[in-house]
Amino acid sequence: MKLSVLSSPALVSGLMVVCLHSVWFPILVFRNTSGLILLLGLDFSAMIFPVVYIGAIAVSFLFVVMMFHIQITEIHEEVLHYLPESGIIGLIFWWEIFFILDIEIIPLISTQRNTTSLRYMVYAGKVRSWTNLETLGNLLYTYYFFWFLVSSLFLLVAMIGAIVLTMHRTTKVKRQDVFRRNTIYSRRIIMKRTPDPLTIYLRYRRLIGLNPIREMAVIFSRSWPLNLFKGFKHL
Amino acid sequence: MSEFAPICIYLVISLLVSLIPLGIPFPFSSNTSTYPEKLSAYECGFDPFGDARSRFDIRFYLVSILFIILDPEVTFFFPWAVPLNKIDPFGSWSMMAFLLILTIGFLYEWKRGASDRE
Repeated sequence: MKLSVLSSPALVSGLMVVCLHSVWFPILVFRNTSGLILLLGLDFSAMIFPVVYIGAIAVSFLFVVMMFHIQITEIHEEVLHYLPESGIIGLIFWWEIFFILDIEIIPLISTQRNTTSLRYMVYAGKVRSWTNLETLGNLLYTYYFFWFLVSSLFLLVAMIGAIVLTMHRTTKVKRQDVFRRNTIYSRRIIMKRTPDPLTIYLRYRRLIGLNPIREMAVIFSRSWPLNLFKGFKHL
Repeated sequence: MSEFAPICIYLVISLLVSLIPLGIPFPFSSNTSTYPEKLSAYECGFDPFGDARSRFDIRFYLVSILFIILDPEVTFFFPWAVPLNKIDPFGSWSMMAFLLILTIGFLYEWKRGASDRE
């Protein structure tokens, strides 16, 4: 089943509207771009696109939607306010697209297949051809190793930067020495120093007595759990 | 390129399998029995006190960011593993240098406690 160039509009059409009505639209953009790259013959990049772009970057977009208090009414109020500047920037991007496009190549209405079927067979490529992974791997780690290591530095900086920015002091305070905690806790259990809830309740009733005013006073005082333990001396 | 035809079929079928149970109730639901009070949030009869969203802990976003960072690391492993007989030990050692640089970041994350469960 040979997919022709006719199916690329089927992948792209109508779904490249990145008006950001929801996060769904960038996800569709990535999916269609992945399909296009697949048609171009770059299978590795086409498989990495969903993994990295959709699985990581679109998920980050989702997190942004979850975290921030975005109300749709606020967005609608402010859209027209920003229209001049954003309109100019949008027109500049649209104008830059014409530098890349060569209009004779794109079939606007591709009805006959003769325009795209003029290609010759490379039979040597059918015997043994290098996959995308192989070609990338041959060059990236040997001839272009410097850029590869620069990319690792980028990742390192991003990792450290993300941790520095998001971890404030409260996330460090709660750490405790787990081994010490276990020994203390097990000692109390073994020596039976902590009473069960029923005992606590019975002691509480006996401590308070049947005076409701005194009972309320003890309950509404801030240290009422401690008052229970004060009564242990009598029991 | 014809090896990707099964993937295309798989995508279409998975889309159908998830969309058909989603879309089947719509012809059978009745729109006449809903009114604004039925659709609004229920807070024991009171009007809603505030927004339903609660405070979002930033540590979940940190998990997502760390996935973004380490996912390209795995992505770099794939083209390295295929031509290992053709790249000389130089290729292997460049990947080890990459791993070393990222291990520094991983050590920092570990000691800082960025992925602790508290």
